[in-house]
Amino acid sequence: MLFALPLFPALAGLALWTAGDGPRLRLGVMAGAAAAGTLLLAALAAARGWSGGFAWGAGLDLHLALTPLSAAVAITVPAVALPVLVFAAAHEDRRGLARLLGLMLIFTGAMLLTVAAADLLTLLIGWEVMGFCSWALIGHHWRDRANMASGRYAFVMTRLGDLGLFLALMATWNRAGSLEYAALGRLEGITLALAAFGVLAAAAAKAGQGPFALWLFRAMDGPSAVSALLHAATMVAAGAYLLARLHPWLASVPGWSLAVIALGLFTALAGGAVAVMQGHAKKLLAGSTSAQLGLMFIAVGAGYPGVAVAHLVTHAAFKAPLFLSAGVAGEAGGTYRLREMGYMRALPWTAGLTALAALALAAVPFMGAAWSKEQIVAAATHESVWLGLFVMLAGALSAAYAMRFWFLAYGPRDAKPQAEPRRPEIAATGALALTCVALGVLWAPPLQDALPLRLPEGKPLEIAGSLAFVALGLVAGLTLARRETAPPPTAADWLGLPALIERGVVRPFERFARLAARTDDDLLDAIPRGAATGARRVARGGRWVWGAMQTDDALLDAIPRSAAAAAHRVARGRNNAGGAMQADRVVLDAAVWQIAAATRALARLGDRRGELLADGLPEGAAGLTGRGGADARRLQTGLSHQYYAIFAIGAGLAILFLITEAF
Amino acid sequence: MLTFAILLPFAAAAALALAPLSASAARATAIATAALALLALVVVWTGFTPGAGFQAVQEAPWIPALGVAWRVGVDGVSLPLALMSGLLFVAAIAWPMERAVNARQYYAWFLFLEGASLGLFLTLDLLIFYVFFDLSLVGMYFLIGRWGHEGAQRAALKFFLYTLAGSLLILLAIIALVLATDPLTFDMRKLIGMQPMAGMDLRAGLILLGFVIGFAIKTPLFPVHTWLPPAHVDAPGPASAILAGVLLKMGVYGLVRIPMQMLRETFATYALALGVVALISILWGSIVAFAQENLKRRIAYTSVNHMGYAVLGVAVAGSAVAGQEAARDLALTGAVVEMVAHGLITGALFLIAGAFWARTQEYDLGHYGGLAAPAPRMMGAMGLASFASLGLPGLAGFVAEVQIFIGAFAVWPWIAAIGLLGLIVTAALFLGMLQRLFFGDRLPALEGLADLTRTESGILAVLLALVVLIGVWPAWLLEMIAASAALTFGGG
Repeated sequence: MLFALPLFPALAGLALWTAGDGPRLRLGVMAGAAAAGTLLLAALAAARGWSGGFAWGAGLDLHLALTPLSAAVAITVPAVALPVLVFAAAHEDRRGLARLLGLMLIFTGAMLLTVAAADLLTLLIGWEVMGFCSWALIGHHWRDRANMASGRYAFVMTRLGDLGLFLALMATWNRAGSLEYAALGRLEGITLALAAFGVLAAAAAKAGQGPFALWLFRAMDGPSAVSALLHAATMVAAGAYLLARLHPWLASVPGWSLAVIALGLFTALAGGAVAVMQGHAKKLLAGSTSAQLGLMFIAVGAGYPGVAVAHLVTHAAFKAPLFLSAGVAGEAGGTYRLREMGYMRALPWTAGLTALAALALAAVPFMGAAWSKEQIVAAATHESVWLGLFVMLAGALSAAYAMRFWFLAYGPRDAKPQAEPRRPEIAATGALALTCVALGVLWAPPLQDALPLRLPEGKPLEIAGSLAFVALGLVAGLTLARRETAPPPTAADWLGLPALIERGVVRPFERFARLAARTDDDLLDAIPRGAATGARRVARGGRWVWGAMQTDDALLDAIPRSAAAAAHRVARGRNNAGGAMQADRVVLDAAVWQIAAATRALARLGDRRGELLADGLPEGAAGLTGRGGADARRLQTGLSHQYYAIFAIGAGLAILFLITEAF
Repeated sequence: MLTFAILLPFAAAAALALAPLSASAARATAIATAALALLALVVVWTGFTPGAGFQAVQEAPWIPALGVAWRVGVDGVSLPLALMSGLLFVAAIAWPMERAVNARQYYAWFLFLEGASLGLFLTLDLLIFYVFFDLSLVGMYFLIGRWGHEGAQRAALKFFLYTLAGSLLILLAIIALVLATDPLTFDMRKLIGMQPMAGMDLRAGLILLGFVIGFAIKTPLFPVHTWLPPAHVDAPGPASAILAGVLLKMGVYGLVRIPMQMLRETFATYALALGVVALISILWGSIVAFAQENLKRRIAYTSVNHMGYAVLGVAVAGSAVAGQEAARDLALTGAVVEMVAHGLITGALFLIAGAFWARTQEYDLGHYGGLAAPAPRMMGAMGLASFASLGLPGLAGFVAEVQIFIGAFAVWPWIAAIGLLGLIVTAALFLGMLQRLFFGDRLPALEGLADLTRTESGILAVLLALVVLIGVWPAWLLEMIAASAALTFGGG
């Protein structure tokens, strides 16, 4: 029954895509209805505790089940998808809109499959289908080839991480004979480590951690609504979700938690720094996504997966409207360069709603996101005071870039917009922004007690310190934004990492592939050519033998004669060819003639005693190893047919021989 | 019924060669014949019990003293392959001819080739297996040489001689294998039961080597694959589809049926070496494909990559590592699914490549761009086939590869781990291909390029629908294969 949850949006999306473009209203209503239906299904599934199973075959089964954690994410995904789809229907290009909305629904379905998965195979299926959707959506405006190239970059890079999931899957099946998550509990030692680090690689790739952050930058070539969905509800969020979901089985692996924390912390700080420097509205937000996901990683590494999922939910609520409003600003100015924005007076509604989401990103109380961030601070401090301090620093960076984003995009700078958002766009952004505020109820202690989460105990001193960092960050962000004049430094492009990967990995690989292709053509193909040369040598030898034999008729039996005939032909062929003919053509020629002559000799021997054939067969085979091509000119005369006929006769005689031998 | 499926195409081929039919009548006859042969196979399938050894067996004595007889029958390995081949032949025959010359002979040769191909998968007699193996070369030789593009004669002869050299090695190995039986028999079932080479080290090793090299050329595996690209490039699209979809499978099928099943002990000794060759093929095929600028060469090299997966599965299945029976089952099932999936997927890809050629006489990727708008059906079919080929879940290739990898990891973890890299390169190369064909600016030379016709779309739709069906619900196919039967009692 739970299969309905991923299948419903996926099939609806497929239908929408197939039906083709139409009026915005119709498409928007259909897509919105599909998302709303999915939300309803998710709520039902969570309330009723649905599960599902499907026999895939060969002893592998697909399992779906919801835990409290996954139920929370399963509800968040369609809840974010609904306003984002409404926005997309109103905001994005008319051309290809049905495809865009359809693919976004399929994307949602794939994410829900990932979330509801209870075994590694189902997980891998949803995981990779998401990769496909990201490819198609990032390259949505395919007439610009650069977009498609970015889609490919994203697909290949995230798939690199997926290999980790393949490894985990193979290791688990090998040791436990099953792919269910529970089977992870039966692993130990190196197998469990392989599974744990494989899962970490896959999660890091999707979540844009460490070097994988680059694809998130390239993904910004996709439409804004796609970015909103991808960063808030699907794909990227899947990375943190996966770690949280599998944490119970993997946490015991030595070094795993530390690796998760290290990766998360590095990305939280580096992503924050990149976002503080970025001058492109969407890339700033992309850097921030990496950083926020890094915070979730830290929470998982510190042993609080529930906290990570709580931050995932609050992050979804603020990141989606930020991307939507970036899209509005981008359309208003025809550019995503932050320096050229500043729409507070022109677009007051959007500016106000964006401010709410930006406050949530900055983790200002009493936003819901602020609560979940403080939980991460507490969890990190629980692990070590230093870690706590670093997380607070990351929080300061969030506050700085949130402030900088808002002030540059929607600050009071009198930029004149070329286009204004339509009502559904404002409504969608507003619904999400108000959700950020509504999530503030998480600060209420009774609600916290009701949550099925293990929470770290925060001390008042930590919260005060953390808030001080946030205040500092806000001031720094405002200062930076006011002074924004020069174009951003090159380090804003992920600290120069893309260029490094381009020069250190992509181009060397392309060179290597071209070298391999040349080797394949020149060197490996030399095997048959070499064999043909060998055949020519044999033929030459045969000719010499023939010369010797002519003096003694009695010794003249079939085998030397066939070789000799071949040699004769070769000699003639070479004379005809003359010097102009290329050496290897002659060689190929020789091979063909050799075979032909040998087979002809075999055919002539048909009425003789069979034993001769028995010798001739291997000899003929030796000649035949002189494989190769042929001189096309000669073949066009139709000789090839003749050769074939002789071959057929030869084969027939071989069978005949076997028969006579038997009696 | 199986005999009917083999002989009907031969009979129709003879009829077409002799009777003075018009081109359209010849085409109709050929399609009807191929469809009937497929129908016969489907009838056999309906009565098939998975995992119960060879079925639908027919036997007619021929040369009793030698133990040669007309024996046909199917098990879980050969039935899916025969069904896939039967379907692919219908598709290739129904696909419009690229160069509409000598239609009668063209269709006659196709039917001849179909008879030989089905015969190879369905026969249970080693000598007849060999005869069909060689006849398939003949059919393909003429299809490439006479209906191919420029340079086709040369490519066809290279293909012919290269693979014939392989088949002669196989013949020698067959004779040596059979001579060890007493009384002489070419009956595959008996040979599998007897294991005639058990305990003979050197001789068995040489025989194995003969089989492996011979089948490796046909499959093709690194480093004896260089006949494949020129043959594909110069072949007409439908012939390419059959070459990749059916003929390459003969190599892997031969490996399963003869060395793996009949020389179990010897095969197990050298399985690791075969696994390494398969691994090299996986990586080499994908890397070389990545650098190809020619559409057909690019697809052709991915065949080396995919057949590498299949052979890896076979090597794992035959490795006889104790305690890993389940993994070996999985690997063999994966290998058979890979063959079926590759047949459908690459068959479709080559048919589409043929459609490109028919419209522009050009395979150079640099010649294309921006075709998504004027040719959305082409884009859809090529996109689906490409993603299936790069192993996207929900499509047939993934089903095969995930099983092969799981099985291989249990036996040789490092081979599986390194082989995974092939998944990345194939992803990059197929996405790059789609990008260059369909996206970006449309080149002026491509104005007015026609999308797939109704016939073409219909044929591709059938092939790709199966790719999706196997990807989403593979159970029916996996049950049919029931690989454990082929491993435990040798399919007999």
